[in-house]
Amino acid sequence: MSLLSPAEGWYYKKVSKDEKMWMLIALTLCIMLFVWMVLWHVYGKQNPSSITYKTSTVEFAQLAEAYTKQNMIGVDNGIPVVRPQPNTDVFVMAEMWRWSPILVLQINQSYKMHISSKDVVHGLSIQPVNMNFQVYPTYDYLLEFKPTEAGEYRIICNEFCGIGHHTMIGKIVVIEKEEDLKKYGYENFKKAPAAIKTTTNQPVSEADKILLGEQVFTLKGCGACHKTDGTVLIGPSWKGLYGKQEKVKENGETITVKVDDDYIKESIQNPSKKITAGFEKTPMPVIPMTDEDIDNLIAYIKSLKN
Amino acid sequence: MSNTIEVTETHHEPSPNKGTIINTIFRVCDITGFKVDLRAEKLIRVNAVAAVVSLLLAVVAAILLVFTRYQPVHLLPAEWYYRLVTFHGLNALIFWIIFFEIAGLYFGSTVILNTRFCAPKLGWVGFILMVLGLVMSNYMILIGKADVMLTSYTPLKAHPLYYLGVILFAVGALIGVILFFGNLMIARREKTYGDSLPLVAYGLMTAAIIAVITLATGAIIYIPTFLWSLGLVQNIDPAMYKLIWWGLGHSSQQINVAAMVSIWYMVSFLAVGGTSINERISRTAFVLYILFICLASAHHLLTDPGVSSAWKVWNTSYAMYLAVLASMIHAFAVPSSFESAQRRWGYNKGLFEWLSKAPWGNPAFSSIILAVIGFGFIGGTTGVIFGMEQTNIIVHNTIAIPGHFKGTVVIGTTLTFMGITYYLIPLIFRRKIVGMGWAKWQPWLFFIGIALLSISMIVLGQLGVPRRHWDATFSGGPFTYNFNPAVDFFWTLMMLGGSLAFISVTIWIGIVVTSVFFGPRVNGPQDMQLKISPLAPPAKSHKGFEAPGTLVLTLIFLLVFLALFFLNWKWLAATWNVK
Repeated sequence: MSLLSPAEGWYYKKVSKDEKMWMLIALTLCIMLFVWMVLWHVYGKQNPSSITYKTSTVEFAQLAEAYTKQNMIGVDNGIPVVRPQPNTDVFVMAEMWRWSPILVLQINQSYKMHISSKDVVHGLSIQPVNMNFQVYPTYDYLLEFKPTEAGEYRIICNEFCGIGHHTMIGKIVVIEKEEDLKKYGYENFKKAPAAIKTTTNQPVSEADKILLGEQVFTLKGCGACHKTDGTVLIGPSWKGLYGKQEKVKENGETITVKVDDDYIKESIQNPSKKITAGFEKTPMPVIPMTDEDIDNLIAYIKSLKN
Repeated sequence: MSNTIEVTETHHEPSPNKGTIINTIFRVCDITGFKVDLRAEKLIRVNAVAAVVSLLLAVVAAILLVFTRYQPVHLLPAEWYYRLVTFHGLNALIFWIIFFEIAGLYFGSTVILNTRFCAPKLGWVGFILMVLGLVMSNYMILIGKADVMLTSYTPLKAHPLYYLGVILFAVGALIGVILFFGNLMIARREKTYGDSLPLVAYGLMTAAIIAVITLATGAIIYIPTFLWSLGLVQNIDPAMYKLIWWGLGHSSQQINVAAMVSIWYMVSFLAVGGTSINERISRTAFVLYILFICLASAHHLLTDPGVSSAWKVWNTSYAMYLAVLASMIHAFAVPSSFESAQRRWGYNKGLFEWLSKAPWGNPAFSSIILAVIGFGFIGGTTGVIFGMEQTNIIVHNTIAIPGHFKGTVVIGTTLTFMGITYYLIPLIFRRKIVGMGWAKWQPWLFFIGIALLSISMIVLGQLGVPRRHWDATFSGGPFTYNFNPAVDFFWTLMMLGGSLAFISVTIWIGIVVTSVFFGPRVNGPQDMQLKISPLAPPAKSHKGFEAPGTLVLTLIFLLVFLALFFLNWKWLAATWNVK
């Protein structure tokens, strides 16, 4: 009588035996589900952490960069490789469109990972172990991971973060013993990280500038969009870029500019002013850099000749 | 009831002796005997038509998306893929469903209560706002100014007109919901129904209450976001945004569930003359939906920073998952209403004669039974398991999540809405169904298609495949990654399921459009192709179980649930440790 008013006395009708049984089973199950989640916090080994720090994108970027610079042992595909000590804090940065750094972890050791984003919301997804967490800008999520199996893992992004979303893939390597590094081509990487001196007041040689520029390239994640071998991805390749005549769009008009120091500096500080023709759909974000960083980067770009 | 008179615009021939007892704003349905307010009927029609148009837009996008994710074809370029994911989500999950629900609310508050529509002009204002919103948002998406997905998580930013479109649509819908309450008030005052609302109207009322809460939450998040896109607000905190957005995003799914379950009871009544074996229980379950919808929003934040585990565990479950309990109560109450009626009709042999002798040739009936099965076994089981704090780690943002809600929203809600349309065509549009032969197997094709699509997406997700992702081969990235080789098989299955479902929806739209615009007119009960059953006779005796077959079916459901439950926790236990 679902289309008509219920029959008289409906409110006092006795509940049938089978319906009562089912409701009791259902209620028990529902309570069990709640208890189960609580108990898993006590006995289970996989629980999302409750620790979050409020941060800003600039602050976290500085922390992550300083951390990576300090602990870097090498570079893989333009992304810095870090080998953290067990039980230490590790900084993992998500940005359009890369995960940095690559981590070399020891099996069955714990690492306190601080995870945050430099720009939009991202999704940290470790494969093939299939563990997934949300990553926000301005929130530093502290997750203490303990890898229980050795091997090569990927971090993919599973929250839509713009047109280059599908290229956002990072790496974690879990080793059992030192020899395992060979499997990943990391055996010749530095044992102990050495910080590069940057505080001296002496003029830096052009060769050093190029090296420092390459470091900026790696640390700031330029390689996520700009390749140095001539392949064109999300942004123009840097190979042979310096001195080239480039077609750019400024205020909707296409003009030709020469790629020189001023143009590069402007492109970094105000990337949306002149947009290289063909890359209108993937505008570059503003990446905070010091003048020194920019100088070094220009030196590096200069060195990438055809 | 064949001697009552129909008064429609095109058919002004009331016989003089009966004309006096019928108000000119009404016609009396010669099939059901209900008084139908002609102004409400028109509004029901236009909202239903807008719903079908939205569904068409959604499925055209869907089939293109399926063939993009199916890597051997990889149809669309990246930008169009993301654009159409946004487009599909908005049209399927918001426009199609809410237009249909507004039609349903108008139907439930006037026709089945024998009452008039309180303010038809406002109804048109609401409808026009909704259409305006649909056009505006869709246009902004298609010209590439709103590639932000349905969720539009800040700081991703769309064009202000996109947000404005969504806001206009929501305001229009809110007007519709308010009119629903206006109609209820008139019906109550004029005592057009007995002491208590019919169960269907009661269920729709809970849907409407949830809709008010949901749309208010929507306003809280979309208005500041709109101002932010205009540059008038500096910053929208991304975690705050996601928290409140899901107060809209998931609570709106609870509107669907309440509306869908109401229709399940309605079809039980129409097809076999059944009713809930205990209306007090069914109504209590509807109230649980209103009280515990917050469940919904919290489980979207299970692997997020910013909220603690205590907050997550408490808010997903309130210590006992009361909204889940409500659905489990309906899972018994709906099939048992069929079973009890069928048994009273004499199909009493064994456990399942009531089911084998059910009116399977009635497409509305088969739609509803398939929707109940799909909603429970696919959507329900995965929903509860994925919505637990820890197991969410192994599925969050993977393609298993859309796989899950294909089980709830597509097999559950959409198939239910498609099914009930087979009754609306003759009763509201007054046309015969053209192509009954097609209509009989359309629900089955849809069920098989979406079940394949949904289950393969869930498996793919369990293998780590991300959702909303243009290229699972990561072309252009610094590294590549190959998923478990089993994914190839499930991608193929998904493509197959998606294609079958697409064909089925195309058939359904074909039937609906041809019937509504070109079908022969319905002139009386003799033109009714779908049976409207009289009330099932009262039970002779009340001993033991009232619905033993249903109890067995629900126990099977319980076993499937437990198997999937332990499987998922086993998989979780095999991952790295994290705390």
